[in-house]
Amino acid sequence: MKKLYSLIRACMTSDMNIFKVNQKHATGFKKIFIPVFLSLAFMFAIWSNAHLIFEKVAPMHLQYIVLSLFVFITSIMTLIEGVYKSGPLLFNCKDDQLLLSLPIKRSTIVFVRVFKFYIFELLFNSLFIIPLIAAYLRWAESIEWTFFLTSFVMIILLPIIPIVISCIIGVIISSLASRFKFKNFIQIVSTMLVLLLVLLISYYMDNFYEYVAKHATSINDMISKIYYPAGVYANLVTNFNIKDLLVFIAINIGLFALLIFVLSKVYFKINSRLKSIATTKKVKISSIVIKSKPASMSLIKKELNMFFKIPVFIINAGFGLVLFLIMSIYTSIKYDSVLSIYKEAFQTNTLNQTSLIILLLLLFASFMTSITNSLISLEGRNINILKSLPVKTKTILMAKIYACLIITTPILLLGDIILFVRLKIKLIEMILLLLLSVLVPLVSHFIGLIINLKFPKLDAENSTEVVKQSTSSFISVMLGMLLLLGNIMLIIKMIKVLSISLILLILTGAYIIIDLCLYLYLSYKSVEDFNSLSV
Amino acid sequence: MIEIKNVTKKYGSKKAVDNVSFTVNDGDIFAFIGHNGAGKTTLIKSMVGIHDFDSGDVLIDGISIKDNPVECKRLMAYVPDNPETYEHMKAIDYINFICDMYDVDIKTREKNIKKYAKLFEMEDKLNDTIDSYSHGMKQKIVLISALAHDPKYLIMDEPFVGLDPKAVFDMKEVLNEMVKENKVVFYSTHILDVAEKLCSRVAIIKEGKLIKSGSMKEIKGDKSLEKVFMDLEDVK
Repeated sequence: MKKLYSLIRACMTSDMNIFKVNQKHATGFKKIFIPVFLSLAFMFAIWSNAHLIFEKVAPMHLQYIVLSLFVFITSIMTLIEGVYKSGPLLFNCKDDQLLLSLPIKRSTIVFVRVFKFYIFELLFNSLFIIPLIAAYLRWAESIEWTFFLTSFVMIILLPIIPIVISCIIGVIISSLASRFKFKNFIQIVSTMLVLLLVLLISYYMDNFYEYVAKHATSINDMISKIYYPAGVYANLVTNFNIKDLLVFIAINIGLFALLIFVLSKVYFKINSRLKSIATTKKVKISSIVIKSKPASMSLIKKELNMFFKIPVFIINAGFGLVLFLIMSIYTSIKYDSVLSIYKEAFQTNTLNQTSLIILLLLLFASFMTSITNSLISLEGRNINILKSLPVKTKTILMAKIYACLIITTPILLLGDIILFVRLKIKLIEMILLLLLSVLVPLVSHFIGLIINLKFPKLDAENSTEVVKQSTSSFISVMLGMLLLLGNIMLIIKMIKVLSISLILLILTGAYIIIDLCLYLYLSYKSVEDFNSLSV
Repeated sequence: MIEIKNVTKKYGSKKAVDNVSFTVNDGDIFAFIGHNGAGKTTLIKSMVGIHDFDSGDVLIDGISIKDNPVECKRLMAYVPDNPETYEHMKAIDYINFICDMYDVDIKTREKNIKKYAKLFEMEDKLNDTIDSYSHGMKQKIVLISALAHDPKYLIMDEPFVGLDPKAVFDMKEVLNEMVKENKVVFYSTHILDVAEKLCSRVAIIKEGKLIKSGSMKEIKGDKSLEKVFMDLEDVK
């Protein structure tokens, strides 16, 4: 047990140092201020939303349903997060060789890997569940001590089932990928397919809900049939009994133990297959074409190369873009049904909605696709290579921005064109939308890079930790959500008094100014941040 | 010429390099020695522009690394203690990437890549990705990319670690060749007998402070470099 504790402590030390700020003399307060502030802001938003829902269901005495609903939604989100992360987090870690050389059981190593995954999902879940419980305390008709016990157990055990499912998916994908020469490609494609499948299933859940509702004996029974932990939570809050609680604990611990047992049987085989790297046939140096490029072009090529070689990076960044394309195609085919959703959301009938829909899609794709927030951290110790090169720091940073534009712009423009071809839009709006397709993602790219330079993680165990579990990615995602919401609220205000052409013009002007400001910030302050990085 | 002038580098309140000054002349092979944690890597990283330093200056051909880092770096090649490369790249792409950064023309890079790839027996392996290489092979790729742009100043941190005996021998030949062309080689090492035979000048650093610097003859006199180093280590 002492060994396990030491092992967990050693493995978690670097991960838990997520509040590292790239400021030479940053105090403890400064170091933790931004992540803690954003976490609290996010929890406050969840708490406020929970209040709104409780307010509606309280007259019907159905507050416990909100608890179940949140548990269900949080679990789905954990599952989606887990599908991204599980494979790359479990396999191919930097400390594999060190741990394998130590006199510890292989199942212990697997346990540590999964436990690390669990801790991060626990933190993620807590952002949703803790504010929910706080809001419930205000709306509950009566609070027993058993509510606190049940909620505590629920917070601790909630991540387990999504983790077990996502680990199984991760193992299947990694096992499949390990059999092929182009492992990364197989991993990217299969993960994308699984994610699309999860979304598709969620989309077509309506029929399932109807079926469950018809066959359920009570609301609690219905919730339990949809998702077991959500039902148990509702049951225990309304009608506590120790037996149900113990069964729930036993099921979760049992599943976790089973996962560790099964995983330790296949883990090392898959891991060693994944580590095997194909070498090409011997090629004579005389047959290799040696080309030269300007430094900035070569830096951009290096960035693109990195992007396409790291599966979790391409899945994380590419999934939003793929979704944008799918939504563009769907909107162009089923325009009327999409239009009715937008009209309802914006509560307006009179204005030309087409450009607005494209604008919203564009904003969604731009702010939810933050590629640059891990570009500095992914350099790791290689940051020293860049710092020793005879190239201006601004050139290095701008190469990262250009590379991201090369990735996002063609996809966004393609989506625009698909919509332009099918839908009637004024020429001026088309031009402004095309401009915004470059200007809006550019803001997102600048912000991501600036944040990553403030919160670098150059000592990560693997790329997944950087892309999915770093302070920089957390802040960027939160900020992206806030900016998206801010833009939507602004548009809702403006659309009541201005034409869509004018709104697009105003936004284009505003984004040009914001991009310029961010460019200037990157050219001066971020250059200083980069120069002060040290490994 | 490299001039290190009163360089001080602190980590928090601890001085990793404390007011260090010395000069490396053209045509020198300069050994920089000291125990683990003495401040060798910190000073080297400050010299090549990886680290900022708190006070003092480093002049490369009279140009300050603080004021004009890009011009200074153009004259230098840096070989780190660990072979840091972009592992997902093919070796040839990585070498080309480094050459692009130094604006090396096609003729020079073709000539140098072929020359050094042959010397380090990497000719038929350049088309593989670097992550398929052993530690020593990675080190060879770092050396090839450092030499491919004909640097005037070659600055290396423990360059011989991980290299096979033939590669060490060949590397020593390359360094002697560079010195004949009046270029500068500055490297940190723990292999004192190699330093003793190869280097014309030496500096010894202890706990961030320079405790001895000069020509190899002056420093060691009739003793071996190892003996001198051990004697200095014993002095508190």
